[in-house]
Amino acid sequence: MNMSITMAEMSFRTPLLTGSGTFGYGDEFKSLVDYNTLGGIVTKSVSLEPRAGNKPPRICETSGGIINSIGLANPGVDSFIANKVSLLPIDETRVFLSVVGNSVEDFLAVVDKFETIADISGYELNVSCPNVKRGGLEIGGDQDAVAAIVKAVRAITKRFISVKLTPNQTSIAPMAQAAVDAGADALTLVNTLIGMAIDTEKQRPLLGNVTGGFSGPPLKPVALAKVWQAAQVVDVPIWASGGMVNGIDCIEFLLAGASGLQLGSVLFTDPFSPQRVLNEMEEYCSHHGVAEISELVGALKV
Amino acid sequence: MQPVSEACEIISNTETSTDTWEMTVETKKIASECKPGQFVHVRTGSGFNPFLRRPLSIGPCNGNRLRLIFIVRGEGTRLLAEMQAGEFVDLVGPLGNPYQLPDNDEVAILVGGGIGVVPLLILSDYLSQEKENHFLLGVRSHDLLPVLPDEIELRGIEVASDDGSIGFKGLVTNLLESKLNDLRDRSVRIYGCGPEPMTRAIKEICMKRKVPAQVSLEVPMGCGVGACQSCAVLREDGVGYLLVCKDGPVFDINDVDLTPGGSS
Ligand SMILES: Cc1cc2nc3c(=O)[nH]c(=O)nc-3n(C[C@H](O)[C@H](O)[C@H](O)COP(=O)(O)OP(=O)(O)OC[C@H]3O[C@@H](n4cnc5c(N)ncnc54)[C@H](O)[C@@H]3O)c2cc1C
Ligand SMILES: Cc1cc2nc3c(=O)[nH]c(=O)nc-3n(C[C@H](O)[C@H](O)[C@H](O)COP(=O)(O)O)c2cc1C
Ligand code: FES
Repeated sequence: MNMSITMAEMSFRTPLLTGSGTFGYGDEFKSLVDYNTLGGIVTKSVSLEPRAGNKPPRICETSGGIINSIGLANPGVDSFIANKVSLLPIDETRVFLSVVGNSVEDFLAVVDKFETIADISGYELNVSCPNVKRGGLEIGGDQDAVAAIVKAVRAITKRFISVKLTPNQTSIAPMAQAAVDAGADALTLVNTLIGMAIDTEKQRPLLGNVTGGFSGPPLKPVALAKVWQAAQVVDVPIWASGGMVNGIDCIEFLLAGASGLQLGSVLFTDPFSPQRVLNEMEEYCSHHGVAEISELVGALKV
Repeated sequence: MQPVSEACEIISNTETSTDTWEMTVETKKIASECKPGQFVHVRTGSGFNPFLRRPLSIGPCNGNRLRLIFIVRGEGTRLLAEMQAGEFVDLVGPLGNPYQLPDNDEVAILVGGGIGVVPLLILSDYLSQEKENHFLLGVRSHDLLPVLPDEIELRGIEVASDDGSIGFKGLVTNLLESKLNDLRDRSVRIYGCGPEPMTRAIKEICMKRKVPAQVSLEVPMGCGVGACQSCAVLREDGVGYLLVCKDGPVFDINDVDLTPGGSS
């Protein structure tokens, strides 16, 4: 069975990727995850300046899922390049650097510095983090702002660009179209939904930031719908992100039109999940006479 | 040792006092390679609800056997309490940094509050052969002991209780102060783990008396391996945060800001 897949003229040994922010910079999980099962990793988002992140607590559980308010804590691009790049598993796996910023200039400055790093397969532009007050969401819901960022970055790099969109918008199709028209090679759908949880004993929010990004299995139906809706209007590859925990979840996203599958929160619960999910997908394929995993992309019968 | 993921057979799982459980598991490597103060990230079943693993301190180890001691608080620990001998529990570990053992001439004082005693039990196993050490434990009352009375006695643990139903009536930090008075002429090092108010009180005592201390902290965690930035605790110098799973859970008490709302 052939689990490899080609997207934007790049071949991936499997459709599996890691979701930004759930896999650090690729070294933390080294002794726990078999990199051979991954087509690529997406790093934690990196910004121009270092960000300390939000006030704790930064994570809480809700029925079947989690809410995080990390606030894009990251060392900033210069420190990342000085200290973290050498830890990236570049030899073994495709690496995509996630970039976040408050303005077009921020994105450009970070990508410009990243262009000096060899052997990077591309970028994921995070225009959709719900945990930062400036930028983030305001950008993520504004088609012109997203298009301006993508267009500017497109002009300074030949590398692959995926644009990660927020599900916190009524209709994903126009935003998806705008990002592709501006030069995106792929779309990542979706980032987290805005969520909140309350400790009723203390009558306080469970997160220091009050609200956060909701992820895990309850996000899956939302993500699936967004992938499907975007796939109706754009031709570029779609990387799915949202609530996948097993092979069948992943098959659903492939059928809906995704060709890359980002495992995110599930890595916290089950670091073995890439291997397990791959086995489960192979099992599905052999039961359904699927020889190439790519046959399933967009094969939904409606 | 780099952390591993192991499906461990449960050897026994029993309630030792109200809502306090002791689970002994058979590991391949974790028990033999871990150090006092490290923790494991425990999966509460094979499904995804509750979603996250639960961080638990590594308790006393014997060969490949490792003892977890936990209080049933919510759904995750309730599921752990339901697990039976012969079943398997999935652990990721050993995680985090251990306590640093005392220097040659130092006397160790172990100060536990409630269930916070767990990492100090394995620490005391490391110390007891060669190092002078004193083990203090604070509990609310005698029926809420985190370990069986036999073990308290065997280890020579001095107990303080809020209601005076066992040991000294008062706070464990009162016991600590009088211990420090007794050891006035010695160099001491404090090893703490317990609820936040206790840790804060230890910090005050240490600042006043200029005594070094290492404390283990508890905050909600996601990955447990330093990848997600969920487990932040404010640095004492105010310059950002430290990660409890990776920089801790054991910290030099002067490195972390323990003011309420700082760490959790
Ligand atoms: C390094 C470390 C070592 C620990 N060692 C022990 C131990 O040896 N024995 C023991 O009984 N407890 C220990 N704890 C606390 C233990 O992790 C929590 O009591 C447990 O996670 C609560 O889960 P629950 O399902 O019962 O509660 P719920 O309220 O259902 O938990 C909801 C979420 O909040 C988190 N959470 C709730 N309370 C805490 C807490 N106090 N600390 C961290 N996360 C919390 C849970 O992990 C979960 O993600 C330790 C915590 C840390 C960080
Ligand atoms: C703790 C945590 C941190 C995250 N950090 C980022 C980030 O820095 N950049 C980003 O684009 N997405 C971030 N995300 C979103 C994930 O990449 C993913 O899109 C989302 O969690 C949905 O997928 P899941 O349900 O499989 O986790 C983060 C998610 C979590 C849980
Ligand atoms: S729990 Fe993920 S970084 Fe500490």
